[in-house]
Amino acid sequence: MARRALLALLLLLTTSARGDETCMSPYMPKITGQEDWIYVWTLGVEGVGDGSDKLVTIGARPDSPDYGKVVSSASVGGRHEAHHAGFTDDRRYLWAGGLDDSGIWVFDVATDPAHPKVVRTIKTFVKDTGGLVGPHTFFALPGRMLLTGLSNEKDRSGKTGVVEYNNDGKFVRAVWLPDDAPYGYDARVEPRLNRMLTSSFAGWKNYMRDLGELMGDAEAMKHFGSTVVVWDFHARKPIQTLQVPGAPLEIRWALQPRHNYAFVTTALTSKLWLVEQQGDGRFKATAVADIGDPSKTPLPVDQSLSADDRFLFVSSFMDGMVRVFDVSDPYKPRVAHEQKIGAQVNMVSQSWDGERVYFTSSLLSKWDKKGDDNEQFLKAYGWDGKQLTPRFTVDFTKEKLGRPHLMSFGQEQFYKNQIYTAADGRLAQKAP
Amino acid sequence: MIRLVILGLLACVGAARGGELPVSPQALRGVDASALAYTYAIGSFVPEYTPPAPGTYELPVIDTLDDHPLVGEDGRAAQLFELTRDRVAVVAFVYMTCVESTGCPVSQAVLHRLDRALAADAELRSRVVLVSLSFDPERDDPARLAAIRAANAPESDWRFVTASSEDTLAPLLEDFGQPVARLRFADGRWTGLYRHVLKVFLLDRAHRVRNVYSTGFLHAELVLNDVRTLLMER
Repeated sequence: MARRALLALLLLLTTSARGDETCMSPYMPKITGQEDWIYVWTLGVEGVGDGSDKLVTIGARPDSPDYGKVVSSASVGGRHEAHHAGFTDDRRYLWAGGLDDSGIWVFDVATDPAHPKVVRTIKTFVKDTGGLVGPHTFFALPGRMLLTGLSNEKDRSGKTGVVEYNNDGKFVRAVWLPDDAPYGYDARVEPRLNRMLTSSFAGWKNYMRDLGELMGDAEAMKHFGSTVVVWDFHARKPIQTLQVPGAPLEIRWALQPRHNYAFVTTALTSKLWLVEQQGDGRFKATAVADIGDPSKTPLPVDQSLSADDRFLFVSSFMDGMVRVFDVSDPYKPRVAHEQKIGAQVNMVSQSWDGERVYFTSSLLSKWDKKGDDNEQFLKAYGWDGKQLTPRFTVDFTKEKLGRPHLMSFGQEQFYKNQIYTAADGRLAQKAP
Repeated sequence: MIRLVILGLLACVGAARGGELPVSPQALRGVDASALAYTYAIGSFVPEYTPPAPGTYELPVIDTLDDHPLVGEDGRAAQLFELTRDRVAVVAFVYMTCVESTGCPVSQAVLHRLDRALAADAELRSRVVLVSLSFDPERDDPARLAAIRAANAPESDWRFVTASSEDTLAPLLEDFGQPVARLRFADGRWTGLYRHVLKVFLLDRAHRVRNVYSTGFLHAELVLNDVRTLLMER
């Protein structure tokens, strides 16, 4: 009886969500304290360093001599349009993709987390999947990896699908997106609802084309996604198509219990959309805010939602801005803070506790700005709920690294399987 | 609150018999409770959906397993495939000292519900086996497994097993893709706890992995529908 009571008590105890890493798969362990490293999946640039795509490790622990410095760099050889990456469900391996030739590289980050190494390369994505191109999102599932494609081999349009490999790199299945919403981009799962959302971007022939040239081609500009698809995740079946015009990109589910909604930003129309489950179980998409001045096409490209579902950081490429929306009322987001990050900015990632925010600059090799505006950086800031305070900057051109894109966090104690007591002084560690 | 539970549990369990000893439960007093339970930092999981009906979806082959030596709660050696042959199997990797609120206690509770559901279904009862497989063979020895089995009073074929030795444990975990590591203090002392990603495996009659459940997926009704889906295959 006592044992059963104890078990019941255990089941009632839950660990509350306290910050992010919020865009990570919910099936994956979180780094809840100070991150020690930032892994940056970086596009190679001809004439810059070795010119190859690489995983760059930046020191992020404030009391380390490596703070704000390049700790290591693992080149994969060649330029493949390095873009996104994601950890496996045990966080021991980081899968990273190339949008041009559809290569996938698996880095071991657990054995020596300051010096990740490629342990597996998958060069058969197109063949395995029956013609999908451009592995984009890497989303950990138990024992396997869920990926999205951006394009296809046949016509290089945005028609594509979602894919699964097991953690050993063995292909499991591919499911094409529905005919009424064939384009893909991001995929995010809310297990509590058994729902997956997928968004939609553009095919290889658009994303591998010079941006200025592309924007001047009215016909090509018609070939961007305008839908978000709702899936029965367990069945892997699309069940509803929502109209979200203007290339809906990153998807962020709210994290708090009973918050049955997600945010999506549209790149071309510069809107913040609320995708919410209704009383009948179906979903509804509503534009709830402008991001900057849509007439100036700021091109919002990434977003990061704090774990308490209060602050949504939205970065926009063209104006190099971050806008922090207070989304406490998801129907009425209001800009709580806005700040120029650089001449161009792409990804934004915040720590689990919400106290640190990082930005990188590169969008796509053929879309990044030219000349002096082609700043390539990782910038770290502190966030106190009101303002962003600069901490450090790594100049990826000066360091001869390339174009920094996706960021993922690593932590010494996690990979050493260690915990620290209060006496160790690590729990209360803060950035200077 | 959680600290009291942790201390209580550890005190109940006692030290390992030989091999590496965990620290005294008192040593965990200074630890941030969340640090012990961050395998899944996003709290509890209460499904808010009706799982799709059996046979309306596919469960592709995720992996194929090798056979592995085990030891049961009766102390007898057995091969994994002896337990699972020609039956659908639900295999949960656990250790009986686990204190994570979203970890092993959840999987054991789900297996308990599955056990009752299987026992009540004459068609399923003989075609499914439940396996609680401990990755802590030193502490979860046959005597302890037998006691836990008795406490659960299974009504279907629910086995409690562990690896036959530490040497056979590593290839077993590697084959399933179930990483496990002893969670230590910074000075190297073992806390008595393991870091592990909660995983429960659904095996078909040919020892192939057809689904993997973790905290967010582990829902008795969903697993039952998956079992029925596999049994509908010819």
